[in-house]
Amino acid sequence: MSAAAAEDVDDDLWSAIGDPTRRRMLDLLLVEGEGTATSLAQRLPVTRQAVAKHLGVLDRVGLVRGTPAGREKRYRVDDVQLARAVAQLSSVGAAWDARLRRIKRIAEAIQRTQQD
Amino acid sequence: MEFGTIEREIYIEASPEIVFEVVSSPDHLKEWWPDDARYEPAPGAAGEIVFGDRDAGGAVVSFTVVDVRPPRTFSFRWTHPAGEVAAEGNSLLVTFDLTPSGGGTLLKMTESGFREMGWEAAVLEQQYREHVTGWDFYLPRLAPYVATLWVRP
Repeated sequence: MSAAAAEDVDDDLWSAIGDPTRRRMLDLLLVEGEGTATSLAQRLPVTRQAVAKHLGVLDRVGLVRGTPAGREKRYRVDDVQLARAVAQLSSVGAAWDARLRRIKRIAEAIQRTQQD
Repeated sequence: MEFGTIEREIYIEASPEIVFEVVSSPDHLKEWWPDDARYEPAPGAAGEIVFGDRDAGGAVVSFTVVDVRPPRTFSFRWTHPAGEVAAEGNSLLVTFDLTPSGGGTLLKMTESGFREMGWEAAVLEQQYREHVTGWDFYLPRLAPYVATLWVRP
């Protein structure tokens, strides 16, 4: 896979988990282990059709995996892909942690010179 | 878990006035983040920050001041395409909120816009640094190698 294609996938992954309804669905799937469009729709203030559409988005970026179960599909969270998405967010957070530590150091140094 | 926003808090033993100056002035920004920063710390002012050397392949990134309320709030947008007006959807929004606490300041940082921008923009600096580190590593090794080629008969 080329580097550009990998970045495209990552952006899709991020926008897939950026939606509040989809995040709620992931939470439900994580807690309950698995779910179908019907079972998830019973727990959410959206239609079964809307849930099915969201599951399609999550499936395309690999965050959930569906297996046929009767007329429906039963979905589970893909732990590896979810961990990858969380790791990407953590790397941005780590960059801010380093910047904030530098801000703290600079501000405290200025405060000390003003007190002296 | 909120995936579209990053929030951080840090306690600083300095007055809100000092912390505000450090997070908002271009001269201080250069000390804790980019290599160069050019903007007026005034609402709506458009400028830029630079990672690396502007004239030698550095990354020049758009930077627009959103809100300036000393010593409580400073916010800006960054990573919007050059020439575009910074707005929701084309940039990341960073907000610093300062609260007096004890003898110092509680600094809260929020960065949002990842849902619209994807993660590529957010790690721009990191990718740039990695790129530079790569060359820092290879260039000193390249020169002696070229020298050995040169002296061979």
